[in-house]
Amino acid sequence: MASKIRKLLYSLVTIFLAITAIFFIIRLSPGDPIEKILGPEASVTDIEKYREQLGLNLSIGKQYINYLQGFFTGDLGESLFKKKSVVELLKTHLPPSVILAIVATFFSTIFGVILGVISAAKKSSGFDFSFRFISLLALSFPIFSLAPLLVLFFSIKLNWLPVSEWLSFKHGILPAITLIIPLSSVLSRVTRNKYLEEEHGPWVQVLTAKGMSDFSVILRVAKVCLPSVLNVVAIQLSVVLAGTMITETIFDIPGIGSLLFEGIQNRDYPVVQGIIIYSTVIYMGVYFLIDILNEFIDPRINS
Amino acid sequence: MTGARINKEMKIGGFICSLYLIWAIGWLLYQFFIQGSFSQPYFPSYDITQELLPLGGKYLLGTDIYGRSIFEVLSSGLIYSLTVSLIVSFACAAIGIVMGYLSVTAHASIAILFDLIINLIFVFPSILIAILIMSVSGQSLTGLIFALIITGWPGYARIARGETMRVMSLSYVEAAKAIGVGRLRLFMKVVLPAILPLLLIHIVLGVSGVIISEASLGFLGLGGSEYSWGSMLAVAKTVLLEAPQMVVILSFAMAGLIIGLNLLGDGLRDFLDTQNKS
Repeated sequence: MASKIRKLLYSLVTIFLAITAIFFIIRLSPGDPIEKILGPEASVTDIEKYREQLGLNLSIGKQYINYLQGFFTGDLGESLFKKKSVVELLKTHLPPSVILAIVATFFSTIFGVILGVISAAKKSSGFDFSFRFISLLALSFPIFSLAPLLVLFFSIKLNWLPVSEWLSFKHGILPAITLIIPLSSVLSRVTRNKYLEEEHGPWVQVLTAKGMSDFSVILRVAKVCLPSVLNVVAIQLSVVLAGTMITETIFDIPGIGSLLFEGIQNRDYPVVQGIIIYSTVIYMGVYFLIDILNEFIDPRINS
Repeated sequence: MTGARINKEMKIGGFICSLYLIWAIGWLLYQFFIQGSFSQPYFPSYDITQELLPLGGKYLLGTDIYGRSIFEVLSSGLIYSLTVSLIVSFACAAIGIVMGYLSVTAHASIAILFDLIINLIFVFPSILIAILIMSVSGQSLTGLIFALIITGWPGYARIARGETMRVMSLSYVEAAKAIGVGRLRLFMKVVLPAILPLLLIHIVLGVSGVIISEASLGFLGLGGSEYSWGSMLAVAKTVLLEAPQMVVILSFAMAGLIIGLNLLGDGLRDFLDTQNKS
Protein backbone atom coordinates (compact mmCIF):
# COMPACT_ATOMS: atom_id res chain seq x y z
CA MET A 1 0.00 0.00 0.00
CA ALA A 2 2.81 2.38 0.94
CA SER A 3 4.36 1.93 -2.47
CA LYS A 4 1.08 2.81 -4.15
CA ILE A 5 0.72 5.98 -2.12
CA ARG A 6 4.30 6.88 -2.97
CA LYS A 7 3.55 6.32 -6.62
CA LEU A 8 0.44 8.45 -6.43
CA LEU A 9 2.36 11.27 -4.74
CA TYR A 10 5.11 10.96 -7.30
CA SER A 11 2.61 11.18 -10.15
CA LEU A 12 0.93 14.24 -8.63
CA VAL A 13 4.30 15.94 -8.33
CA THR A 14 5.11 15.05 -11.94
CA ILE A 15 1.81 16.45 -13.17
CA PHE A 16 2.37 19.61 -11.18
CA LEU A 17 5.86 19.98 -12.62
CA ALA A 18 4.46 19.36 -16.08
CA ILE A 19 1.88 22.14 -15.90
CA THR A 20 4.55 24.43 -14.46
CA ALA A 21 6.86 23.55 -17.34
CA ILE A 22 4.10 24.31 -19.85
CA PHE A 23 3.62 27.73 -18.30
CA PHE A 24 7.29 28.61 -18.47
CA ILE A 25 7.80 27.27 -21.99
CA ILE A 26 5.03 29.57 -23.19
CA ARG A 27 6.06 32.63 -21.20
CA LEU A 28 9.81 32.44 -21.59
CA SER A 29 9.89 31.69 -25.28
CA PRO A 30 11.18 34.52 -27.45
CA GLY A 31 8.74 36.77 -29.24
CA ASP A 32 5.55 38.41 -28.17
CA PRO A 33 2.52 36.18 -28.68
CA ILE A 34 0.28 39.25 -28.98
CA GLU A 35 2.25 40.60 -31.90
CA LYS A 36 2.05 37.22 -33.53
CA ILE A 37 -1.69 37.06 -33.03
CA LEU A 38 -2.41 40.56 -34.26
CA GLY A 39 0.27 40.76 -36.93
CA PRO A 40 2.89 43.45 -37.49
CA GLU A 41 0.40 46.19 -38.37
CA ALA A 42 -1.49 46.13 -35.08
CA SER A 43 -1.91 49.42 -33.23
CA VAL A 44 -0.41 49.94 -29.78
CA THR A 45 -3.82 50.28 -28.12
CA ASP A 46 -4.98 47.00 -29.64
CA ILE A 47 -1.88 45.28 -28.38
CA GLU A 48 -2.40 46.71 -24.90
CA LYS A 49 -6.04 45.64 -24.89
CA TYR A 50 -5.17 42.08 -25.84
CA ARG A 51 -2.37 41.98 -23.34
CA GLU A 52 -4.72 42.93 -20.56
CA GLN A 53 -7.33 40.42 -21.73
CA LEU A 54 -4.76 37.64 -21.56
CA GLY A 55 -3.35 38.87 -18.28
CA LEU A 56 0.11 39.30 -19.77
CA ASN A 57 0.58 42.78 -18.31
CA LEU A 58 1.09 41.34 -14.82
CA SER A 59 4.40 40.22 -13.34
CA ILE A 60 5.47 36.68 -14.11
CA GLY A 61 4.88 35.54 -10.53
CA LYS A 62 1.33 36.89 -10.55
CA GLN A 63 0.70 35.31 -13.93
CA TYR A 64 1.85 31.98 -12.58
CA ILE A 65 -0.47 32.20 -9.59
CA ASN A 66 -3.37 33.16 -11.84
CA TYR A 67 -2.51 30.29 -14.10
CA LEU A 68 -2.52 27.75 -11.27
CA GLN A 69 -5.74 29.20 -9.91
CA GLY A 70 -7.30 28.96 -13.35
CA PHE A 71 -6.10 25.40 -13.71
CA PHE A 72 -7.61 24.21 -10.44
CA THR A 73 -10.86 26.10 -10.81
CA GLY A 74 -11.25 25.00 -14.42
CA ASP A 75 -11.00 28.51 -15.81
CA LEU A 76 -8.55 28.73 -18.68
CA GLY A 77 -9.74 31.94 -20.25
CA GLU A 78 -11.70 32.54 -23.41
CA SER A 79 -11.00 31.57 -26.95
CA LEU A 80 -9.77 34.57 -28.92
CA PHE A 81 -11.96 33.77 -31.91
CA LYS A 82 -14.95 31.83 -30.70
CA LYS A 83 -17.15 33.47 -28.10
CA LYS A 84 -16.75 30.55 -25.74
CA SER A 85 -14.57 29.67 -22.80
CA VAL A 86 -11.78 27.20 -23.33
CA VAL A 87 -13.25 24.77 -20.82
CA GLU A 88 -16.59 24.81 -22.63
CA LEU A 89 -14.86 24.08 -25.92
CA LEU A 90 -12.94 21.24 -24.34
CA LYS A 91 -16.10 19.76 -22.88
CA THR A 92 -17.83 19.56 -26.23
CA HIS A 93 -14.75 18.30 -28.07
CA LEU A 94 -13.49 15.77 -25.58
CA PRO A 95 -16.02 12.91 -25.97
CA PRO A 96 -15.26 11.89 -29.58
CA SER A 97 -11.52 11.88 -28.89
CA VAL A 98 -11.84 9.88 -25.71
CA ILE A 99 -14.17 7.34 -27.35
CA LEU A 100 -11.83 6.96 -30.29
CA ALA A 101 -8.75 6.60 -28.10
CA ILE A 102 -10.35 4.08 -25.75
CA VAL A 103 -11.81 1.95 -28.56
CA ALA A 104 -8.51 1.98 -30.42
CA THR A 105 -6.40 1.12 -27.38
CA PHE A 106 -8.79 -1.60 -26.24
CA PHE A 107 -8.99 -3.42 -29.57
CA SER A 108 -5.31 -2.93 -30.32
CA THR A 109 -4.37 -4.55 -27.02
CA ILE A 110 -6.64 -7.52 -27.68
CA PHE A 111 -5.57 -7.99 -31.30
CA GLY A 112 -1.94 -7.32 -30.45
CA VAL A 113 -1.78 -9.89 -27.66
CA ILE A 114 -3.68 -12.57 -29.60
CA LEU A 115 -1.67 -12.14 -32.79
CA GLY A 116 1.61 -11.88 -30.91
CA VAL A 117 0.97 -15.03 -28.90
CA ILE A 118 -0.12 -17.06 -31.94
CA SER A 119 2.88 -15.88 -33.89
CA ALA A 120 5.29 -16.71 -31.07
CA ALA A 121 3.69 -20.08 -30.29
CA LYS A 122 3.98 -21.02 -33.95
CA LYS A 123 7.41 -19.52 -34.40
CA SER A 124 8.95 -19.80 -37.89
CA SER A 125 5.65 -20.94 -39.40
CA GLY A 126 4.08 -19.36 -42.44
CA PHE A 127 1.75 -17.42 -40.16
CA ASP A 128 4.65 -16.08 -38.12
CA PHE A 129 6.54 -15.00 -41.19
CA SER A 130 3.64 -13.23 -42.86
CA PHE A 131 2.59 -11.69 -39.57
CA ARG A 132 6.03 -10.21 -39.00
CA PHE A 133 6.16 -8.90 -42.53
CA ILE A 134 2.71 -7.30 -42.34
CA SER A 135 3.31 -5.74 -38.93
CA LEU A 136 6.59 -4.24 -40.14
CA LEU A 137 4.83 -2.88 -43.20
CA ALA A 138 1.99 -1.47 -41.09
CA LEU A 139 4.46 0.35 -38.86
CA SER A 140 6.10 2.01 -41.82
CA PHE A 141 3.02 3.98 -42.81
CA PRO A 142 2.56 6.87 -40.39
CA ILE A 143 -1.06 7.56 -39.49
CA PHE A 144 -1.38 10.58 -41.75
CA SER A 145 -0.40 8.54 -44.78
CA LEU A 146 -2.24 5.39 -43.68
CA ALA A 147 -5.53 7.25 -43.23
CA PRO A 148 -5.74 8.75 -46.73
CA LEU A 149 -4.76 5.37 -48.19
CA LEU A 150 -7.55 3.66 -46.24
CA VAL A 151 -10.02 6.32 -47.34
CA LEU A 152 -8.88 5.87 -50.91
CA PHE A 153 -9.42 2.13 -50.74
CA PHE A 154 -12.48 1.63 -48.53
CA SER A 155 -14.43 4.81 -49.22
CA ILE A 156 -13.59 5.88 -52.73
CA LYS A 157 -12.71 2.63 -54.47
CA LEU A 158 -15.02 0.19 -52.67
CA ASN A 159 -17.51 2.77 -51.39
CA TRP A 160 -18.09 0.78 -48.20
CA LEU A 161 -17.57 3.41 -45.54
CA PRO A 162 -18.18 7.15 -45.30
CA VAL A 163 -15.18 9.42 -45.84
CA SER A 164 -15.51 11.84 -42.98
CA GLU A 165 -17.55 13.42 -40.21
CA TRP A 166 -18.81 11.89 -37.00
CA LEU A 167 -22.47 11.01 -37.29
CA SER A 168 -22.96 7.29 -36.79
CA PHE A 169 -21.20 4.08 -35.84
CA LYS A 170 -20.19 3.60 -39.45
CA HIS A 171 -18.33 6.90 -39.42
CA GLY A 172 -16.17 5.70 -36.58
CA ILE A 173 -14.96 2.49 -38.21
CA LEU A 174 -12.32 3.91 -40.50
CA PRO A 175 -10.78 6.29 -37.93
CA ALA A 176 -10.65 3.42 -35.43
CA ILE A 177 -8.99 1.10 -37.95
CA THR A 178 -6.47 3.82 -38.73
CA LEU A 179 -5.42 3.86 -35.11
CA ILE A 180 -5.69 0.13 -34.49
CA ILE A 181 -3.41 -0.96 -37.33
CA PRO A 182 -0.16 0.66 -36.12
CA LEU A 183 -0.87 0.24 -32.43
CA SER A 184 -1.75 -3.45 -32.63
CA SER A 185 1.37 -4.00 -34.75
CA VAL A 186 3.60 -2.54 -32.06
CA LEU A 187 1.86 -4.45 -29.30
CA SER A 188 1.92 -7.75 -31.15
CA ARG A 189 5.64 -7.42 -31.76
CA VAL A 190 6.22 -6.71 -28.09
CA THR A 191 4.02 -9.65 -27.09
CA ARG A 192 5.85 -11.94 -29.47
CA ASN A 193 9.28 -10.98 -28.11
CA LYS A 194 8.19 -11.26 -24.50
CA TYR A 195 6.50 -14.62 -25.13
CA LEU A 196 9.64 -16.04 -26.72
CA GLU A 197 11.61 -14.89 -23.68
CA GLU A 198 9.27 -16.53 -21.18
CA GLU A 199 8.46 -19.66 -23.15
CA HIS A 200 11.49 -21.64 -22.04
CA GLY A 201 11.40 -20.76 -18.36
CA PRO A 202 11.64 -23.67 -15.92
CA TRP A 203 8.10 -23.13 -14.66
CA VAL A 204 6.78 -23.66 -18.18
CA GLN A 205 8.64 -26.94 -18.38
CA VAL A 206 7.12 -28.00 -15.09
CA LEU A 207 3.62 -27.26 -16.37
CA THR A 208 4.25 -29.23 -19.54
CA ALA A 209 5.78 -32.10 -17.59
CA LYS A 210 2.77 -32.24 -15.33
CA GLY A 211 0.70 -32.88 -18.41
CA MET A 212 -1.08 -29.59 -18.81
CA SER A 213 -2.52 -29.14 -22.28
CA ASP A 214 -0.63 -27.03 -24.77
CA PHE A 215 -3.42 -24.53 -24.93
CA SER A 216 -3.48 -23.95 -21.16
CA VAL A 217 0.29 -23.56 -21.09
CA ILE A 218 0.08 -20.94 -23.84
CA LEU A 219 -2.55 -19.07 -21.83
CA ARG A 220 -0.36 -19.11 -18.72
CA VAL A 221 2.66 -17.79 -20.60
CA ALA A 222 0.49 -15.14 -22.22
CA LYS A 223 -0.66 -13.97 -18.80
CA VAL A 224 2.91 -13.51 -17.68
CA CYS A 225 3.56 -11.35 -20.74
CA LEU A 226 0.64 -9.05 -19.98
CA PRO A 227 2.38 -6.54 -17.66
CA SER A 228 5.12 -5.86 -20.21
CA VAL A 229 2.51 -5.38 -22.89
CA LEU A 230 0.51 -3.01 -20.70
CA ASN A 231 3.70 -1.12 -19.98
CA VAL A 232 4.18 -0.60 -23.67
CA VAL A 233 0.53 0.45 -23.93
CA ALA A 234 1.35 3.16 -21.39
CA ILE A 235 4.38 4.28 -23.36
CA GLN A 236 2.37 4.17 -26.58
CA LEU A 237 -0.37 6.36 -25.11
CA SER A 238 1.56 9.34 -26.33
CA VAL A 239 1.36 7.85 -29.81
CA VAL A 240 -2.37 7.20 -29.35
CA LEU A 241 -2.83 10.79 -28.32
CA ALA A 242 -0.94 12.16 -31.30
CA GLY A 243 -2.59 9.61 -33.57
CA THR A 244 -6.06 10.51 -32.37
CA MET A 245 -5.38 14.18 -33.02
CA ILE A 246 -4.08 13.55 -36.51
CA THR A 247 -6.85 11.06 -37.29
CA GLU A 248 -9.46 13.60 -36.25
CA THR A 249 -8.13 16.27 -38.54
CA ILE A 250 -8.18 13.80 -41.42
CA PHE A 251 -11.68 12.46 -40.83
CA ASP A 252 -13.18 15.78 -39.75
CA ILE A 253 -14.11 14.48 -36.32
CA PRO A 254 -15.00 17.31 -33.93
CA GLY A 255 -12.58 16.20 -31.21
CA ILE A 256 -9.76 17.94 -29.38
CA GLY A 257 -7.39 17.17 -32.25
CA SER A 258 -9.47 19.23 -34.65
CA LEU A 259 -9.83 21.91 -32.01
CA LEU A 260 -6.08 22.00 -31.50
CA PHE A 261 -5.44 22.08 -35.24
CA GLU A 262 -7.85 24.97 -35.64
CA GLY A 263 -6.31 26.72 -32.64
CA ILE A 264 -2.84 26.43 -34.13
CA GLN A 265 -4.00 27.76 -37.49
CA ASN A 266 -5.74 30.75 -35.87
CA ARG A 267 -3.02 31.30 -33.27
CA ASP A 268 -5.68 30.94 -30.62
CA TYR A 269 -3.25 30.73 -27.69
CA PRO A 270 -5.66 30.12 -24.79
CA VAL A 271 -7.22 27.20 -26.66
CA VAL A 272 -3.89 25.64 -27.61
CA GLN A 273 -2.59 26.04 -24.09
CA GLY A 274 -5.76 24.65 -22.53
CA ILE A 275 -5.79 21.59 -24.77
CA ILE A 276 -2.17 20.85 -24.07
CA ILE A 277 -2.57 21.24 -20.32
CA TYR A 278 -5.63 19.04 -20.05
CA SER A 279 -4.43 16.36 -22.42
CA THR A 280 -1.15 16.23 -20.53
CA VAL A 281 -2.95 15.76 -17.25
CA ILE A 282 -5.33 13.11 -18.63
CA TYR A 283 -2.48 11.33 -20.35
CA MET A 284 -0.32 11.27 -17.25
CA GLY A 285 -3.23 10.16 -15.13
CA VAL A 286 -3.80 7.16 -17.39
CA TYR A 287 -0.08 6.48 -17.55
CA PHE A 288 0.19 6.18 -13.80
CA LEU A 289 -3.05 4.24 -13.59
CA ILE A 290 -1.57 1.58 -15.84
CA ASP A 291 1.55 1.61 -13.71
CA ILE A 292 -0.51 0.80 -10.63
CA LEU A 293 -2.66 -1.71 -12.52
CA ASN A 294 0.51 -3.56 -13.49
CA GLU A 295 1.38 -4.04 -9.87
CA PHE A 296 -1.93 -5.80 -9.30
CA ILE A 297 -1.42 -8.17 -12.21
CA ASP A 298 2.15 -9.01 -11.31
CA PRO A 299 3.14 -8.10 -7.73
CA ARG A 300 6.77 -9.00 -8.48
CA ILE A 301 7.18 -5.79 -10.47
CA ASN A 302 7.77 -3.54 -7.53
CA SER A 303 9.93 -5.84 -5.48
CA MET B 1 33.20 -13.67 -32.59
CA THR B 2 32.78 -15.67 -35.74
CA GLY B 3 29.24 -16.52 -34.70
CA ALA B 4 27.84 -13.14 -35.70
CA ARG B 5 26.84 -13.02 -39.32
CA ILE B 6 25.41 -10.22 -41.31
CA ASN B 7 21.74 -11.16 -41.34
CA LYS B 8 19.09 -10.83 -43.99
CA GLU B 9 17.34 -7.89 -42.37
CA MET B 10 20.54 -5.88 -42.34
CA LYS B 11 21.15 -6.67 -45.98
CA ILE B 12 17.66 -5.70 -47.17
CA GLY B 13 17.49 -2.67 -44.85
CA GLY B 14 20.97 -1.56 -45.86
CA PHE B 15 20.09 -1.98 -49.52
CA ILE B 16 16.92 0.12 -49.22
CA CYS B 17 18.71 2.79 -47.21
CA SER B 18 21.53 3.00 -49.73
CA LEU B 19 19.00 3.42 -52.55
CA TYR B 20 17.57 6.42 -50.73
CA LEU B 21 21.06 7.72 -50.03
CA ILE B 22 21.97 7.47 -53.72
CA TRP B 23 18.74 9.26 -54.56
CA ALA B 24 19.57 12.03 -52.07
CA ILE B 25 23.13 12.43 -53.31
CA GLY B 26 21.99 12.37 -56.93
CA TRP B 27 19.46 15.08 -56.23
CA LEU B 28 22.03 17.21 -54.40
CA LEU B 29 24.38 16.93 -57.38
CA TYR B 30 21.54 17.84 -59.72
CA GLN B 31 20.50 20.71 -57.51
CA PHE B 32 23.92 22.23 -57.04
CA PHE B 33 25.94 21.27 -60.11
CA ILE B 34 23.81 20.16 -63.05
CA GLN B 35 20.65 22.26 -63.07
CA GLY B 36 21.65 24.96 -60.62
CA SER B 37 24.98 26.19 -59.35
CA PHE B 38 26.51 26.36 -55.92
CA SER B 39 25.53 29.98 -55.41
CA GLN B 40 22.13 29.46 -56.99
CA PRO B 41 20.84 26.00 -56.21
CA TYR B 42 17.92 24.69 -58.19
CA PHE B 43 14.53 24.34 -56.51
CA PRO B 44 11.40 22.79 -58.00
CA SER B 45 9.78 25.40 -60.24
CA TYR B 46 6.12 26.35 -60.33
CA ASP B 47 3.99 26.12 -63.43
CA ILE B 48 0.38 26.55 -62.43
CA THR B 49 -0.89 25.57 -65.89
CA GLN B 50 0.58 22.10 -65.36
CA GLU B 51 -1.19 21.26 -62.10
CA LEU B 52 -2.05 17.74 -60.97
CA LEU B 53 -0.78 15.92 -64.03
CA PRO B 54 -0.91 12.12 -63.76
CA LEU B 55 2.04 9.74 -63.74
CA GLY B 56 4.32 9.50 -66.74
CA GLY B 57 4.90 12.03 -69.46
CA LYS B 58 7.23 14.97 -69.07
CA TYR B 59 7.06 14.92 -65.27
CA LEU B 60 8.10 11.49 -64.09
CA LEU B 61 5.62 11.21 -61.22
CA GLY B 62 3.17 13.91 -62.30
CA THR B 63 2.73 17.31 -60.70
CA ASP B 64 1.26 18.72 -57.49
CA ILE B 65 -1.36 21.44 -57.08
CA TYR B 66 1.17 24.19 -57.82
CA GLY B 67 2.34 22.45 -60.96
CA ARG B 68 5.67 21.39 -59.51
CA SER B 69 7.13 18.05 -60.47
CA ILE B 70 6.27 15.64 -57.66
CA PHE B 71 9.56 13.84 -58.13
CA GLU B 72 11.53 17.05 -57.61
CA VAL B 73 9.46 18.11 -54.60
CA LEU B 74 9.82 14.62 -53.15
CA SER B 75 13.59 14.78 -53.63
CA SER B 76 13.85 18.14 -51.87
CA GLY B 77 11.70 16.70 -49.11
CA LEU B 78 14.05 13.72 -48.81
CA ILE B 79 17.07 15.99 -48.35
CA TYR B 80 15.16 18.06 -45.82
CA SER B 81 13.90 15.00 -43.92
CA LEU B 82 17.31 13.36 -43.79
CA THR B 83 19.07 16.55 -42.70
CA VAL B 84 16.62 17.26 -39.91
CA SER B 85 16.50 13.69 -38.67
CA LEU B 86 20.28 13.21 -38.71
CA ILE B 87 20.95 16.48 -36.89
CA VAL B 88 18.24 15.73 -34.33
CA SER B 89 19.24 12.11 -33.78
CA PHE B 90 22.93 12.81 -33.29
CA ALA B 91 22.27 15.79 -31.06
CA CYS B 92 19.85 13.73 -28.98
CA ALA B 93 22.33 10.87 -28.74
CA ALA B 94 25.12 13.22 -27.65
CA ILE B 95 23.01 14.94 -25.02
CA GLY B 96 21.57 11.60 -23.93
CA ILE B 97 24.98 9.98 -23.44
CA VAL B 98 26.31 12.85 -21.35
CA MET B 99 23.17 13.23 -19.28
CA GLY B 100 22.86 9.49 -18.80
CA TYR B 101 26.47 9.26 -17.66
CA LEU B 102 26.13 12.23 -15.32
CA SER B 103 22.92 10.92 -13.81
CA VAL B 104 24.86 7.83 -12.72
CA THR B 105 28.21 9.25 -11.71
CA ALA B 106 27.54 12.80 -10.56
CA HIS B 107 26.92 13.87 -7.00
CA ALA B 108 23.74 12.32 -5.59
CA SER B 109 21.67 15.51 -5.55
CA ILE B 110 22.52 16.32 -9.19
CA ALA B 111 21.84 12.73 -10.14
CA ILE B 112 18.37 12.88 -8.61
CA LEU B 113 17.66 16.15 -10.41
CA PHE B 114 18.74 14.72 -13.77
CA ASP B 115 16.70 11.63 -13.13
CA LEU B 116 13.65 13.75 -12.43
CA ILE B 117 14.12 15.80 -15.60
CA ILE B 118 14.62 12.70 -17.73
CA ASN B 119 11.52 11.03 -16.29
CA LEU B 120 9.47 14.19 -16.59
CA ILE B 121 10.17 14.70 -20.28
CA PHE B 122 9.85 10.99 -20.87
CA VAL B 123 6.30 10.75 -19.57
CA PHE B 124 5.31 14.08 -21.08
CA PRO B 125 3.51 13.36 -24.37
CA SER B 126 6.22 14.34 -26.82
CA ILE B 127 3.99 15.53 -29.64
CA LEU B 128 2.41 18.03 -27.26
CA ILE B 129 5.76 19.51 -26.24
CA ALA B 130 6.68 19.76 -29.90
CA ILE B 131 3.36 21.40 -30.78
CA LEU B 132 3.73 23.74 -27.85
CA ILE B 133 7.23 24.81 -28.82
CA MET B 134 6.36 25.12 -32.50
CA SER B 135 3.22 27.11 -31.85
CA VAL B 136 5.17 29.53 -29.67
CA SER B 137 8.37 29.78 -31.70
CA GLY B 138 6.55 30.07 -34.99
CA GLN B 139 7.24 27.87 -37.96
CA SER B 140 10.97 27.87 -38.30
CA LEU B 141 13.59 25.24 -38.96
CA THR B 142 15.53 26.04 -35.78
CA GLY B 143 12.33 25.88 -33.74
CA LEU B 144 11.50 22.52 -35.26
CA ILE B 145 14.94 21.05 -34.61
CA PHE B 146 14.91 22.44 -31.09
CA ALA B 147 11.46 20.97 -30.42
CA LEU B 148 12.48 17.54 -31.72
CA ILE B 149 15.72 17.52 -29.72
CA ILE B 150 13.93 18.50 -26.51
CA THR B 151 11.50 15.61 -26.88
CA GLY B 152 14.04 13.14 -28.22
CA TRP B 153 17.01 13.10 -25.89
CA PRO B 154 15.46 11.52 -22.77
CA GLY B 155 15.00 8.25 -24.66
CA TYR B 156 18.73 8.10 -25.32
CA ALA B 157 19.53 9.24 -21.78
CA ARG B 158 17.56 6.31 -20.38
CA ILE B 159 19.49 3.83 -22.48
CA ALA B 160 22.81 5.50 -21.73
CA ARG B 161 21.95 5.52 -18.03
CA GLY B 162 21.18 1.80 -17.97
CA GLU B 163 24.29 0.92 -19.91
CA THR B 164 26.51 3.20 -17.85
CA MET B 165 25.22 1.56 -14.70
CA ARG B 166 25.97 -1.87 -16.13
CA VAL B 167 29.46 -0.90 -17.27
CA MET B 168 30.38 0.93 -14.09
CA SER B 169 29.81 -2.17 -11.99
CA LEU B 170 32.15 -4.33 -14.08
CA SER B 171 35.35 -5.31 -12.31
CA TYR B 172 37.75 -3.68 -14.77
CA VAL B 173 35.98 -0.35 -14.31
CA GLU B 174 36.16 -0.72 -10.55
CA ALA B 175 39.87 -1.42 -10.92
CA ALA B 176 40.31 1.67 -13.09
CA LYS B 177 38.47 3.77 -10.55
CA ALA B 178 40.59 2.29 -7.76
CA ILE B 179 43.86 3.39 -9.35
CA GLY B 180 42.44 6.87 -9.70
CA VAL B 181 41.41 7.21 -13.34
CA GLY B 182 39.64 10.55 -13.74
CA ARG B 183 35.98 10.90 -14.56
CA LEU B 184 36.51 12.30 -18.03
CA ARG B 185 39.04 9.66 -18.98
CA LEU B 186 36.78 6.94 -17.60
CA PHE B 187 33.99 8.29 -19.77
CA MET B 188 36.07 8.49 -22.94
CA LYS B 189 37.93 5.19 -22.55
CA VAL B 190 35.41 2.94 -20.86
CA VAL B 191 31.84 4.11 -21.00
CA LEU B 192 31.71 5.55 -24.48
CA PRO B 193 33.10 2.50 -26.31
CA ALA B 194 30.83 0.23 -24.29
CA ILE B 195 27.59 2.03 -25.02
CA LEU B 196 28.19 3.16 -28.60
CA PRO B 197 27.08 -0.07 -30.32
CA LEU B 198 23.78 -0.10 -28.46
CA LEU B 199 23.24 3.58 -29.15
CA LEU B 200 23.94 3.03 -32.83
CA ILE B 201 20.87 0.80 -33.06
CA HIS B 202 18.81 3.44 -31.38
CA ILE B 203 20.13 6.15 -33.65
CA VAL B 204 19.12 4.15 -36.73
CA LEU B 205 15.65 3.49 -35.28
CA GLY B 206 15.57 7.04 -33.94
CA VAL B 207 16.15 8.52 -37.39
CA SER B 208 13.01 6.84 -38.67
CA GLY B 209 11.18 8.03 -35.56
CA VAL B 210 12.28 11.61 -36.15
CA ILE B 211 11.23 11.40 -39.80
CA ILE B 212 7.74 10.40 -38.64
CA SER B 213 7.59 13.05 -35.89
CA GLU B 214 8.77 15.75 -38.24
CA ALA B 215 6.25 14.70 -40.85
CA SER B 216 3.48 14.62 -38.24
CA LEU B 217 4.26 18.21 -37.28
CA GLY B 218 4.42 19.14 -40.95
CA PHE B 219 1.06 17.51 -41.48
CA LEU B 220 -0.43 19.61 -38.67
CA GLY B 221 0.94 22.72 -40.33
CA LEU B 222 3.88 23.11 -37.96
CA GLY B 223 6.65 22.01 -40.26
CA GLY B 224 9.89 23.83 -40.86
CA SER B 225 9.78 23.74 -44.65
CA GLU B 226 7.30 23.59 -47.49
CA TYR B 227 9.11 20.46 -48.67
CA SER B 228 8.33 18.55 -45.49
CA TRP B 229 6.74 15.24 -46.51
CA GLY B 230 4.09 15.80 -43.88
CA SER B 231 2.96 19.14 -45.23
CA MET B 232 3.01 17.70 -48.75
CA LEU B 233 0.73 14.90 -47.56
CA ALA B 234 -1.57 17.46 -45.97
CA VAL B 235 -1.86 19.13 -49.36
CA ALA B 236 -2.25 15.81 -51.16
CA LYS B 237 -5.08 14.85 -48.81
CA THR B 238 -7.13 17.82 -49.96
CA VAL B 239 -6.99 16.62 -53.57
CA LEU B 240 -7.61 12.97 -52.74
CA LEU B 241 -10.45 12.69 -55.25
CA GLU B 242 -8.82 14.55 -58.13
CA ALA B 243 -5.33 13.17 -57.79
CA PRO B 244 -5.22 10.03 -55.66
CA GLN B 245 -1.81 9.12 -57.08
CA MET B 246 -0.20 11.93 -55.08
CA VAL B 247 -1.10 10.44 -51.70
CA VAL B 248 -0.03 7.00 -52.87
CA ILE B 249 3.35 8.16 -54.18
CA LEU B 250 4.14 10.22 -51.10
CA SER B 251 3.05 7.48 -48.71
CA PHE B 252 5.08 4.79 -50.38
CA ALA B 253 8.18 6.95 -50.76
CA MET B 254 8.08 7.71 -47.06
CA ALA B 255 7.18 4.16 -46.03
CA GLY B 256 10.08 2.80 -48.08
CA LEU B 257 12.62 4.86 -46.19
CA ILE B 258 11.08 3.99 -42.84
CA ILE B 259 11.00 0.26 -43.66
CA GLY B 260 14.64 0.43 -44.70
CA LEU B 261 15.71 2.13 -41.48
CA ASN B 262 13.61 -0.15 -39.28
CA LEU B 263 14.95 -3.29 -40.95
CA LEU B 264 18.50 -2.01 -40.63
CA GLY B 265 17.96 -1.20 -36.95
CA ASP B 266 16.33 -4.56 -36.18
CA GLY B 267 19.05 -6.37 -38.08
CA LEU B 268 21.79 -4.49 -36.23
CA ARG B 269 20.18 -5.39 -32.93
CA ASP B 270 20.08 -9.09 -33.77
CA PHE B 271 23.63 -8.87 -35.08
CA LEU B 272 24.95 -7.33 -31.86
CA ASP B 273 22.89 -9.75 -29.76
CA THR B 274 24.41 -12.80 -31.38
CA GLN B 275 27.83 -11.20 -31.19
CA ASN B 276 27.44 -10.68 -27.47
CA LYS B 277 26.27 -14.23 -26.91
CA SER B 278 29.05 -15.94 -28.81
